[in-house]
Amino acid sequence: MIRVAQNLYDYRELVFTLAWKNIAVRYKQAFLGIAWAVIKPVMLMLIFTVVKSFVGIDSGSVPYPVLVFAALMPWIFFQESASDGVNSVVSNTALIKKIYFPREIFPITAVGTKLIELGINFVILATLMAWYGMVPTAHILWVPLIILYTVLAALTISFVGAAINVYYRDMGQALPVLLSLMMYLSPVIYPLQLVKDKLLVQQAAGEWSGLLYMLYTLNPLAGIIDAFQNVVLRGLPPDWSALLPGALTVAVLLPLSYAFFKRAESYFADVI
Amino acid sequence: MPAIEVSHLTKEYRLGALQSLKDTALNAGRRLLGHPVEERPMFKALNDVSFSIEPGEVVGIIGHNGAGKSTLLKMLARISTPTSGSVKVDGRIAPLIEVGAGFVPDFTGRENVYLNASILGMSKREIDRKLDEIVDFAEMAEFIDTPVKRYSSGMQVKLAFAVATSIDSEILIVDEVLAVGDLAFQRKCFNRMESLIKSQRRTVLLVSHNIRQVERFCSRVMLMDHGTVSLDGLPQNVCNAFFDYSDKRIVAQSARSATGKVATTGEVELLEIYLCDGVSAPSRELVYGSDIEAHITLKVNSSLEKPIFYLGIHTTDFVKVTTTTSGETFRHKMIPAGVHKISVRLPKCQLTPGAYSLRFSVDVEDPVKNVLYHDSLHPFSVRSSPESRSNPEFEGFFLSPATWSQSTPNLAGERSSQQPEAGLHTVL
Repeated sequence: MIRVAQNLYDYRELVFTLAWKNIAVRYKQAFLGIAWAVIKPVMLMLIFTVVKSFVGIDSGSVPYPVLVFAALMPWIFFQESASDGVNSVVSNTALIKKIYFPREIFPITAVGTKLIELGINFVILATLMAWYGMVPTAHILWVPLIILYTVLAALTISFVGAAINVYYRDMGQALPVLLSLMMYLSPVIYPLQLVKDKLLVQQAAGEWSGLLYMLYTLNPLAGIIDAFQNVVLRGLPPDWSALLPGALTVAVLLPLSYAFFKRAESYFADVI
Repeated sequence: MPAIEVSHLTKEYRLGALQSLKDTALNAGRRLLGHPVEERPMFKALNDVSFSIEPGEVVGIIGHNGAGKSTLLKMLARISTPTSGSVKVDGRIAPLIEVGAGFVPDFTGRENVYLNASILGMSKREIDRKLDEIVDFAEMAEFIDTPVKRYSSGMQVKLAFAVATSIDSEILIVDEVLAVGDLAFQRKCFNRMESLIKSQRRTVLLVSHNIRQVERFCSRVMLMDHGTVSLDGLPQNVCNAFFDYSDKRIVAQSARSATGKVATTGEVELLEIYLCDGVSAPSRELVYGSDIEAHITLKVNSSLEKPIFYLGIHTTDFVKVTTTTSGETFRHKMIPAGVHKISVRLPKCQLTPGAYSLRFSVDVEDPVKNVLYHDSLHPFSVRSSPESRSNPEFEGFFLSPATWSQSTPNLAGERSSQQPEAGLHTVL
């Protein structure tokens, strides 16, 4: 882990330059420019709000549009980081074959790039909160830590996925499908509170309820989204019981994923 | 301590395509069960290569396509990992393996300089400092804020070369980058490389097919063949060995597939043409300085009035070296229909060692026209004894007979006559 940090520090300028390249390339010849970064979450928020008016989802004390937007922000950040991270090595074939630098630069840069787009979405979130007259509390200071945790979760998928993708491009095809399934398994459209009520309070699945809830929260996104909504919208501290299982998943899988990436790395130039 | 130390370096590649997911899974299953697995054959791109390079050495690597040169460079630049053996590199390496890797078409020249330079390992401050010099060298001041996608390919390469050679590194790896841009810029690149090598005392590894360049730049040359270093030594010796080897390959190749240019009006046909030295049997390998005879067999279909024959020699890349003409010999003759033999004697042939082909054509007068033209005929090589190949006389296509003399002009009175060396001049 220390070596990773050391490498990252040595190559920090390259990471920044590559991130700047990613952003600039994407928006250079687009009339709307960086505004595209907010269009996706805003559109989804509008759609979900319309859907919600038919189905009826209890959003608690928070207005549904803000709640769903606050869920979409970490979710879209995670989803796009992971899919860009997985494709980052293959899409830089020209560099991989010509120049050496630690290959983890690519997934890390891909995830880092998405941080900038996430930052822009905070402007929209603030506008929405102001519209509904919501004032954040001191708990909002948790946000940087929650984002860091999301970065680590995205890297867990990126490292292993990027390495596999070099050998089998199936990975790049399968990932969007898996990620869109994962969205329904994460409290994006509905708040975590609903799942909690169903399983822990009403014991809907009988004696399996506790276990099911644990399984549900093994998905780091369950804890992340809920914590983000808590600290920004509800003025509450993060719900540790929902965060912990997911954090455990990341703590176990991230080192494995990174080790796998480093092992595969030496053959990237030969097989890519 | 050597700058680069390579010991028993081997790199194997699997032949054929990557296995499908299904095959991989099946093979993994077989391995688990202990059954034999069907392996694809391996190819050794590098086979037990060992050498070491001292700091400040300029080493050229030559060899024909597929000999393992680029694979070796990739190992040194850490782009690829050896199958076995080790590579030790002491110092920062700048690979110019292919200039312009990672240029982004949508970026301006300036943005690409920053991007490319930081990919090559330069810090922002370093780039700021060198930007003007880079732009100036690439002759790009006018276009530096235009997106690179609007550049011509030559402009892109110029900019990339300027960036790549501005890196301060102890070790420079150069793979075929000197052949960029137009002639004037090539000259500039050449000078830049020379100054990098000569004045800054860097360790340089240069891979090129331009053997003359390698011979000029390097203090040591390695010849690679089928994944091994087959020769390692002084540039002249190694390059000459490579030339001899290449000449033979060229002759053998062109002899197998003679596809010269042919133009004929049908009045005369070329049946046979060959060279021989001394003995009468056709020979494809002539010795420098021997008497050569060309034998030509023609089939004349309708009689030739006042013909002129031309016999020329050209290199395999169609540089016409010399032409001899029958001139007045057949000027007042008529050659009747039938098969005729013509022979041409070239005493003490002064062609320098290399690979050549023959060219033969026939003109007639009244009206003047060309009735037969053939080139790339009878590919042959001229050889010399191995030690004399590096003779300075052999730089060029052939030796001119010359007489030298010396005189000391008495221009400045008595002083110059006392210093004969100062006034030395030669007359051809």
